[in-house]
Amino acid sequence: MSGPPAVEIEDLHYRYPGGPAALRGVSLVVAAGEMVAMVGQNGAGKSTLARHLNGLLRPAAGRVRIFGRDTARLRVSELARYVGYVFQNPDHQIFRETVAAEVAFGPANLGCPPDEIEARVHAALRFVNLEEKRDANPHLLSRGERQRVALASVLAMQTPVLVLDEPTTGQDYRTSLEIMERVAELNRAGHTVIFITHDMELVARYASRVVVLARGKVVADGGVRETFASPGVLAASHLAPPDITCLAREMAPWGIPGDVLTVEEMLAVLAPLVGGRGC
Amino acid sequence: MIRVENLSFRYAGAQEPALCEVNLEIAPGSFVGLVGSAGAGKTTLLRCLNGLVPHFYGGTLTGRVTLDGVALADLSVAAIARTVGTVLEDAESQLVCAEVEEEVAFALENLQLGPAAIRARVQGALEMVGAAHLARRPTASLSGGEKQRVAIAAVLALRPRVLLLDEPASELDPRGTEELFAVLGRLRRECGLTMVVAEQKTGHLARYADRIVVLDRGRVVVDGPPRPVFSRAAELAACGVRLPQVAELAAALGGAGETTPLTPAEGRVWLEELLGGGRRVRAARG
Repeated sequence: MSGPPAVEIEDLHYRYPGGPAALRGVSLVVAAGEMVAMVGQNGAGKSTLARHLNGLLRPAAGRVRIFGRDTARLRVSELARYVGYVFQNPDHQIFRETVAAEVAFGPANLGCPPDEIEARVHAALRFVNLEEKRDANPHLLSRGERQRVALASVLAMQTPVLVLDEPTTGQDYRTSLEIMERVAELNRAGHTVIFITHDMELVARYASRVVVLARGKVVADGGVRETFASPGVLAASHLAPPDITCLAREMAPWGIPGDVLTVEEMLAVLAPLVGGRGC
Repeated sequence: MIRVENLSFRYAGAQEPALCEVNLEIAPGSFVGLVGSAGAGKTTLLRCLNGLVPHFYGGTLTGRVTLDGVALADLSVAAIARTVGTVLEDAESQLVCAEVEEEVAFALENLQLGPAAIRARVQGALEMVGAAHLARRPTASLSGGEKQRVAIAAVLALRPRVLLLDEPASELDPRGTEELFAVLGRLRRECGLTMVVAEQKTGHLARYADRIVVLDRGRVVVDGPPRPVFSRAAELAACGVRLPQVAELAAALGGAGETTPLTPAEGRVWLEELLGGGRRVRAARG
C-alpha cells in the first residue's frame, strides 16, 4: 500500500433541513486509482454522498477522509485541490459569460499563472471536444454541451479524485461513450473516479466495482460481474441489469454464463454455438 | 391530429437550419418515439409541435404545423397548451413552487378550477407517476428523478390530449423509467392520449412506441415501426442512436428485419430458433 485510501467514509449520517434522513450510516473505502460506479434508486442518497466528498455538505455524524485528511478540518478551497465534483445539473455550476472563462475559473483560483491557465483550458476543452465553442456563452449551449463544459471546468482543476454525478445524462449515446472513454483514460492515468449513473450498460462497460445505495445505506458493494449476477439486490434497489445480461440468464439452458455484461461478450460466448455466423 | 408539412426552421443567428423539410402525420392515439444524436433537432421539433417555435423562439420558419386542421401559428400559446402538454428536458427549470402539491396545482389554479377538483386532479396525477408520497415535500429537497416525476405530474394534471416529453427519463432510475413508460402506455390506452417522446433510452421506446422517427441534422432519415427501424443497425449507429441491446445482438448475428427481437424474452426465442435451426450444437454443460 502506497499511502492512505483516496476516500474513506465512516458511518456517515446526513439529513436535509425539512427532509427525511438522506444518509443513514454509510461506510465506504475507495482506494487510489479505482473506478467505482455508484448506483441506486432516485432519492437513495447518491448525490448527497457525493457532495460530502468535496465539502459541499459536512457530515452531521461520522467522518469523511480524503487521502487521510478529515474533511471537517479542510476548507472547501483546500479540498478543491483533491476532489473535483461535476454536478448532475450543469446549470448549478455554470456562471461565467464564455466557455473559456468558465473553465479558467478553477485553475485561476488555484493560483495558476496565466500561461498555465490557458494550457489547462485548452487541454480540458479539447478533452471534451468543445474547442470550437470556447468563446460561446455557455448558457446558450445545448444541455449536453453545458454538461461537457461543466466536466471540462472540473478537469482543468487536475484533481486526483473525480466525482461525476450522472456525467452522461442528456448526452446522446455516442457522446456518452466518448465521455466515459475519456473518463476511463483519466482513470488509467491515475485519477480515482467515482461516477453516479442509472445507465447499467455504462456500469457494465466501465466500472470495476459497483456500490449500490438504497435509502441512505450501502446495500451492496463488489465487483460489477458478481453484483449484476445476483438480481435480488438490484431489484430491491429499483435497478435492473442490462438487457443483454438478462438475455444471457434466459439462455442458461444453452450453457450461456449468467454474468455476461456487454453485447461483445455475448457474441463471444455465442460464437461456438452459431459457428461462422455474424462477427 | 398533428400534421407537419414541409417544415424547416433556423434559429435566429444560427448558421445551419435546426429542421429541414420535415413531414410527419401523427395520428390520434399514436406513440411516437423521437431519436437522434444531440443537435439532431428533437427538441426543436417538439418546440414546433407546442408552438414555442415560432411564438417564443425567433428564427426563420417555412412550412407549417397544424393541430386538428388549424395552423399552430394562428393559435396562441395558451390555447395550444390546453391541448398539448409539454415536459421540458430540464424538468427542474419547470418547477416554480415551494411544495410538490402546490407545484402540481399551479396550472390548475390558473384554469380557475374549484378546490375539490384541483385536489382530486393533483392526487390523481401524483399517483399516476408514483409520486403520491412526495405531495408535502419541498420541491428543493427532491432528487433529480423525483423532480422529473413531479414535472410530469404537473402536466398530466392539465389533462392534455397530446403529451410531448423531452427525455423524460434521463434522470430516472431503471424501475422509475419502466414505471414512467408503463404510465405513458396506460395514458395512451385508457385516455387515448397522443404521445411524442424524445428519448435516448431506446430499449424502452422499442417496447412502448408504435413508431420510431429518427432525426439526423434536422432531417427525418428513418420512420417506421420499432422492429424494422431497430434492425437498421449501421444506419442508426451513423446517426448516433443506441440500439436496444437485444436488437444490436441480432444485427451482429446477421440481422432479423421485421422480426427483430427487442426484449430479452424475445431475444431468447429468436436465438433458440437461430441455434436450433442451425447446426444443433448444444454447449456441453458440466
